[in-house]
Amino acid sequence: GRNPARPFCSSIMKAMKALLALTLGAIATVTHGQVWPLPDSVSSGYTNITVYPSTAFFVYDPRYGEAGSVLKEAFTRYHDLAFPHGTMEDKGASMKYLNIALESFDESHPQLETDESYSLSIDEYGNGLISAQTVYGVMRGLETFSQLVVFDYDTRTYQIAGAPLKIEDSPRFAHRGLMIDTARHFLPLAAIRSIIDSLPYAKLNVLHWHMVDTQSFPFESTTYPKLWEGAYSKQERYLQSDISSIVDYARYRGVRVIVEFDVPGHAASWCVGYPEVCPSDPECAQPLNVANNATFDLIESVLGECTGKQASATDAPSGLFPDDMIHLGGDEVDTSCWTADEDISAWLAEQGMTEDEAYAYFVGKASDIAVSQGRRPIQWSEVYDHFGTNLNKGTIVHVWKDVTNVTEVVANGYNTLVNVGYVDKSWYLDNLDVAWAAVYSKDPCEGVPDELCPMVLGGHGEMWGETVDASDLEQTVWPRMAAIAERLWSPKDTTDADAALPRIEAFRCLLNSRGIAAAPVNNADAREGPPSPASCFEQRRALRF
Amino acid sequence: VVSEVVVSILEDDAAELQLYADESYTLVVPATDGGKIELSAPTQWGIMRGLETLSQLVLFDFDANAYTVDNSPWNIEDAPRFPHRQLMIDTARHYEPLSVIRQVIDACTFAKVNTIHWHLVDDQSFPFDSPSHPELAAKGAFSKYERYTDADVASIVEYARKRGVRVMVEVDTPGHASSWCAGAPEICPSSSCLSPLNPATNATFDLMADLFHDLTGGEKRLGLFPETLMHLGGDEVDTSCWGETPEIQAWMDDNGFTEDDAYLYYFNRVTEIAIAQGREVVGWDEIWENFGTSLDPTTIVAAWRTWAINSTDVTSKGYRMLYCPDSAWYLDSLDTTWEARYAEEPATGVAEEDEHLVLGGGGQMWGETADPSDVLPTIWPGMAAIAERLWSPRDVTDTVEAAPRLAGFRCLMESRGVPFAPITNLISRSAPSGPGSCTAQRRRHV
Repeated sequence: GRNPARPFCSSIMKAMKALLALTLGAIATVTHGQVWPLPDSVSSGYTNITVYPSTAFFVYDPRYGEAGSVLKEAFTRYHDLAFPHGTMEDKGASMKYLNIALESFDESHPQLETDESYSLSIDEYGNGLISAQTVYGVMRGLETFSQLVVFDYDTRTYQIAGAPLKIEDSPRFAHRGLMIDTARHFLPLAAIRSIIDSLPYAKLNVLHWHMVDTQSFPFESTTYPKLWEGAYSKQERYLQSDISSIVDYARYRGVRVIVEFDVPGHAASWCVGYPEVCPSDPECAQPLNVANNATFDLIESVLGECTGKQASATDAPSGLFPDDMIHLGGDEVDTSCWTADEDISAWLAEQGMTEDEAYAYFVGKASDIAVSQGRRPIQWSEVYDHFGTNLNKGTIVHVWKDVTNVTEVVANGYNTLVNVGYVDKSWYLDNLDVAWAAVYSKDPCEGVPDELCPMVLGGHGEMWGETVDASDLEQTVWPRMAAIAERLWSPKDTTDADAALPRIEAFRCLLNSRGIAAAPVNNADAREGPPSPASCFEQRRALRF
Repeated sequence: VVSEVVVSILEDDAAELQLYADESYTLVVPATDGGKIELSAPTQWGIMRGLETLSQLVLFDFDANAYTVDNSPWNIEDAPRFPHRQLMIDTARHYEPLSVIRQVIDACTFAKVNTIHWHLVDDQSFPFDSPSHPELAAKGAFSKYERYTDADVASIVEYARKRGVRVMVEVDTPGHASSWCAGAPEICPSSSCLSPLNPATNATFDLMADLFHDLTGGEKRLGLFPETLMHLGGDEVDTSCWGETPEIQAWMDDNGFTEDDAYLYYFNRVTEIAIAQGREVVGWDEIWENFGTSLDPTTIVAAWRTWAINSTDVTSKGYRMLYCPDSAWYLDSLDTTWEARYAEEPATGVAEEDEHLVLGGGGQMWGETADPSDVLPTIWPGMAAIAERLWSPRDVTDTVEAAPRLAGFRCLMESRGVPFAPITNLISRSAPSGPGSCTAQRRRHV
């Protein structure tokens, strides 16, 4: 109703597209059955395999080990992902199961060094095998498999094209993450679970949880229970049991969870429960009070809840967040409220410290706490920019500012994560005017000599939450996060955006079919909806050719 | 501490899920610890509505680390004002994958919306894989991936049924049907004039009968859509192609038909097919405007052009209607606020003895700019306002009173994984304007 019928419109549009295709050359067709991110090496043939979704489709040899719940749930999950239309009659399928072989059945929390490599082979008779070192490598292989399987509506069968297929795959960068911000808007557990679901679809393996900030403190601290009085409301909080369930939910999907408690700036919400850890003037309440030991006692205690005060080991995860890394923030520290505060300013004088030295002292102490609790600290760019090689050598420098010289950082022996914001090729997902192709074109090792590139661990898409809550999270993260995912997984020379366009469009449609609200690929503005009726596979703006 | 809910189904424990199904329930939460919560209803559908209410009364108290129900005792006797409370989804302007339709259904249950009106096909695409006419989707779907098999449809209808949600299919003809022509050119006027469908040839009605049979199984309460109501569209019919096509003009001359007569003839024929297959027909209000009381008396009028058609026009002549006002309850009308949607009254001016003829109505999520990336935050909060209008008593109209409840409902929906746009948006589905609590979004200034 309401809009007048336009019977000619669709046929005219089809004619126009055909004409443009002729005049402008071939426009690559968008089809399912391709893999995002692009695997390291693929060889394929010309045989189509019909696949039948047997109940026990993924099979492994029990002589080599016992599948734990992580692997078993992965089999169940990937059965539904590969075969979304359920099971139909067996019309003479050649492939009725897929063999899984793995070196280690260990299901401990994944860490930076966890091996995610796999190989996938399917011969022209439908005999298939995924082999990997770890359960997480198997999961990456299962993801690839699920993207190769295509449902054919005409024959009502599942098909894989291109047998015999041989895929050897492993990531270029080991650390490939998405940051979510639960301080600017509380994100309910259901929204966090949904976004975690989406990460392995693009083989992302880290969730960086920016837990608290100036605006709110939603985290339950058992040792400092008044901290969450800084939450937006009584309902917008995370119990420790909520957090544990999220960390485990992520583990089941091969995703590490790294928490960030950003100190000493971005911390006004801490003052609600414990004003003594802030400067005394509520109008000038941050950064956290460097002059008061109570501040560091609190930080040590809260971090202690996160880490269990010791390193995690295989089969012995420690703390709410068993990951080896913990993020301590350290960005955008305006120290003027320290000098404005009488007591703090007196302390600075007593210590013979400038404001900047006090900043260095603060982040150094925080870093020492993390190290003493068996963790590697991650800290934002400024911490290196200010303090250079005085930083603890194990610190991971999280580069977000354009001015930071990544080559210099790594040459000085520091690992880095690189995701610069507020630039043309920004990886800040709240920079809404940066299109997928610009994101895709940024290499974390840009300008870094090849022999130093291994010091760059990877990077994140940063989903700052000022205008993002559960109503628009997925469509702001995706599909540009896919561009980041391929940049971090695939070989360095996978840079052809024209070749990538039909593949990322198909991947977007795949995400939608899995219930993830990925926005149209060719938006001028991220997260805006589609402009008009169209196939998911043809949402190109007319003027884009 | 209360740890037991006693559920009693009082009457028909195998009640069918159709229009007029009894959804009433009684819910009693005791005043003191140690008692039991009691939920009773005539049917299992009422039990489900009661469970939804109970789930909204229970709140987790983060300080006490316990689930609580505040302000007990509660004695709730509840039943919907209107029996037909729908959300329309449009899978022709953009394909909606099954996973998204399931998310939509789940969200509807949280607001006690009891019907999905599935606008299945339209000009732009024909995604339904008709078993009797596979060429329709083979040539008319957006792509080889954007289709629904009969098994897909059955799985959705069953998913909905388990949640007490009916699914009413709409096959919109004779207008809005140009996507049919690629697969079945014989039922369209000509290759240069595609729409409306050709009334002059039996090929059209044979195909319609086959297609309807795919959907209905040929009998009442059977088939992919066991729902008794079947929407046949009938809107925005520009008959000029008929006059411009010589064979059709000749046929009209032979029968002494004007173009309008031919439209009535068409609609009556498809109505007959649907009725013969055990269905009651719903049509958009153009059928009322054009044909009035010559329509089969069981026809239900879906009034959308409410600037021209009042509810009383329909009900005073003894016909049933659905209230689906353009703009006010069109969810693609992005600049309509929730307050404006809440203010609509389906039975305005209707005589009390005729009120039962207003079956209800609902929100229409036209899909021109809605696809999986944005459909849910476009539906909510608008549909929440409509849902209360259709469930709650007529005098529940105070938006000042309702606003904090709607804000709380928003937070609840988000906690259940439903993307629900800020309620203070002046434009639907806009992002929140800045950091804040889910309950306290500042009004966004355009």
